[in-house]
Amino acid sequence: MSNSSFYKPSTIALHTGYSPESDYGSRAVPIYQTTSFAFDDVSDAQSLFNVERGGHIYSRISNPTVAVLEQRLAALEGGSGAICTASGMSALYSTFTTLCSAGDHIVSSAQIYGSTATLLRHTLPRFDIQTDFIPINDAKALEAAIKPNTKLVFCESISNPGMEVSNLPEIARIANAKGIPVVVDATFSTPALCRPIEHGANIVVHSVTKWIGGHGTAIGGAIIDGGNFDWGNGRFPEMTEPFAPYHGMRFWEEFGPNCFAMKVRSEAMRDLGPAMAPQNAFLILQGVETLNLRMQKHVENTVALRDWLLEQDAVTWVNHPELESNASADVAKSLFPNGAGSMLCFGVTGGRAGGTAFVNAVQLSSHLANVGDSRTLVIHPGSTTHSRLDKDALEAAGISEDLIRVSVGLEDIKDIIGDFSKGLKAAARATS
Amino acid sequence: MRLSVNGADVFAATGGKEFDPNLPTVVFLHGSGLDHRGWALQTRWFAYHGYSVLAPDLPGHSLSGGEPCASIEVSAAWLSEFLDAADVKAAHIVGHSQGFLTALEFAKNNPDRVLSLTAIGTAAAIPVNQALIDTAKDSAAKAAHMMVNWGFGPGAHNGASAVPGMQPIAIGRAIMSRNPLAVDLQACADYQGGSDAVQALGNIPGCCILADQDKMTPIKAGLKLAEAMGVSPTIIKGFGHMLPIEAPRETLNALRAFISSVQNQAAA
Ligand SMILES: Cc1ncc(COP(=O)(O)O)c(C=O)c1O
Repeated sequence: MSNSSFYKPSTIALHTGYSPESDYGSRAVPIYQTTSFAFDDVSDAQSLFNVERGGHIYSRISNPTVAVLEQRLAALEGGSGAICTASGMSALYSTFTTLCSAGDHIVSSAQIYGSTATLLRHTLPRFDIQTDFIPINDAKALEAAIKPNTKLVFCESISNPGMEVSNLPEIARIANAKGIPVVVDATFSTPALCRPIEHGANIVVHSVTKWIGGHGTAIGGAIIDGGNFDWGNGRFPEMTEPFAPYHGMRFWEEFGPNCFAMKVRSEAMRDLGPAMAPQNAFLILQGVETLNLRMQKHVENTVALRDWLLEQDAVTWVNHPELESNASADVAKSLFPNGAGSMLCFGVTGGRAGGTAFVNAVQLSSHLANVGDSRTLVIHPGSTTHSRLDKDALEAAGISEDLIRVSVGLEDIKDIIGDFSKGLKAAARATS
Repeated sequence: MRLSVNGADVFAATGGKEFDPNLPTVVFLHGSGLDHRGWALQTRWFAYHGYSVLAPDLPGHSLSGGEPCASIEVSAAWLSEFLDAADVKAAHIVGHSQGFLTALEFAKNNPDRVLSLTAIGTAAAIPVNQALIDTAKDSAAKAAHMMVNWGFGPGAHNGASAVPGMQPIAIGRAIMSRNPLAVDLQACADYQGGSDAVQALGNIPGCCILADQDKMTPIKAGLKLAEAMGVSPTIIKGFGHMLPIEAPRETLNALRAFISSVQNQAAA
C-alpha cells in the first residue's frame, strides 16, 4: 500500500474541500452570500439543531464558502478540523476562552504580537484568566511556569519582531507530559513552511490576513484542531462534562479528536459570533491557491535582501531566524527546511532618528501596520505596533529603538534593494 | 453510558439520550481500530426517534477499558455479556466492517437476541494483508495511515466532510492510531466462520449497505454476502469503505428505512 492517493500540499491548496459537481459545475468556489439556509421540513430542521446531521443553519455558525477554507486549512496543517474567524485576534480570543474559564492560567512566550500580548496581559485578566510570560525556549522556565490551573501553553512559530523560533517539539514534550496542550500562532510560517502539528503542537492559530490570504485584501483568522490531544485527561471539564446548551453533550466523548474544533463552533462561534464573512473566505481562498508558490518566492527574496543588508555600512545589525546571531538558528534550521519566512529586522545607524528617516525615504515599500502582503512592507515597531507596551515589556519582546521590521514582498528583488538603498542613504544622512 | 462487562469498565454512546432498555434497541458495532464516534450521525437520529441506542467502544478501544478481543468469536461472546449488562434481551444489530463479523457470529449463537442484522461496508470474510498486520504490530499510527488511505473514498480524499470544517480522514487516523489495530486486523484475518454463520441466520431480517468505491472490503465480496443473506443490497455510489463517516446521511437513510420496516412488521 502506498501513500499515493493522499494529495500533496500544492494540490490540497487548490482543490481540498470543494468539488464542482454540487454547484452548477462552478469551477471556482462559489461565494454563499447568505445569512441563513432553508430547511427541507420541520424534521430536517430538528435534525440539524440536534446534531443528528451536519449542515449549515446560519452563517454566524458556519457557511459553505467558509467551510471550504476551513477544510482546506485543516488538510494543509494535517489537523482534524478548522474554524475560520473574522480576524486573527478573534481566533486567538476564541481559542483562549474555549479552553480557559475564570481562575485559569496560561503560560505564554514573552515574545508575541503586540495585540496578543495586550489580550493576555490586560483583557483576559479582567475575566480572571491570568498569564505568565516566559522565555519560551527555556525548558526549565516552562516547566516551572505550569501550574495546576494552567490550561494552555502559547507561543508563535516565529516571533514578531524578535524573530525567535519556538522549539515546538521540546515545548510540546514538556507541556504534554503535564497534560497541557500547546497552542501555536503560526501566522509567520504558514503551512507551506512548517506544519506545527507534525512537531507536536495541539492547536494552530493563524491570522489569515497575512501570508495565507497573501494579498492584503481581507482580515481573517483560523483555528486548527491538531486532533492529537487527550482532552479526557481530567484537566478539561469543559470538554468532558455535560454542555448544557447542547442537551448535556460531552464533547470529548461525542467527537474525540475534533472535539476542540466542535466546541469552538458550538460555543465561541455561536455565542460570541466572530464569523468570517463568505466574501473574505473567497478572497483568502484565492491566496491559499498559490500559497506554496508565493512562500517560495517570499523566502527567496528575503534571503537575498538579508544577505545584501548584512553588507551595508548603514546597517548596524540584521536579525533573521537563520542567522547564527539568532539564538534559535538551530531550531529554525530543523523546523523550517524550506526557509524561515519572509520577515526580517535590522537596525539602522542613527537609532530612532535613523529609523524614522529610513521609513520616510523608502517609496516602493509601504510604511504600514501589517505583514504578509504580496508587497514589501516596512515599519518602526517602537512607535507603532508595540507602542502600547512599556519599556520593560518592549525589551522582553526583543525590540530596540533603531529596529526596522520588514515583511519582504514579491517584487523583483533588484527593485526592493534599490528602494532600501534610498532608505539607508537617508538614515546615514540623518546621522551625519 | 458506562457499564461493567466481565469486570471491565465499558463505554457505550447512547445517542445523546438516556438509555431506556424498554424501547426497541439498536446496537452499533464499529470496525477495526475505530470507536463509537464513527456512528455519531446515525445514533443521534435513532435515539431521538423512538429507539434506544448502544454504540459501544469494544474492550481496549478509546473510552473502554479491558483487553481487546483476540478473535471474532471472543468479541461475539463479549457482545452477549455486554447486552446482559445493559439489560437488553434482543436488539437490532448494525455492524460496520469487522463489527459485522462480530454481529454475524453473535447472531449465529444467539438468534433469539437479534431483531435484525445490518451489514455496512463489509463481507462474510475480511482477509487482511499480512504486511498491514505486521505494520500495525509495529506501529498502529503507520497502519492507521495506510487504513485511512484505502478506507476513505475519493470525496474524503478531496477533503469533503458531512460536518462543516472537519477532516474525516484525519479524525479516523487519530482514532485508529491509539487503538489496538493489530489485534483487530488479526481477528478479521483469522475469522473463517462467516459463510456458515450466514447460512445459520434463518429468518432474521437482514440488510446490506455497500459502497461502490470500497477498497478495504471490495463490493464484489459485499454483493456475495447480500446474495447469501438473500437481501437486495443498498449500494451507495461514490463513497469508500468508511460509509457511516463518509456518507452519514445516505447510510442513515438506508438504516432508517430497513429498521423501521422491521419494527412495523413486528407491530403488525
Ligand atoms: C502573529 C500575529 N498573530 C495575530 C495577529 C492578529 O491578526 P488579525 O490582524 O488578523 O486580527 C497578527 C497581526 O498582525 C500577527 O502578526
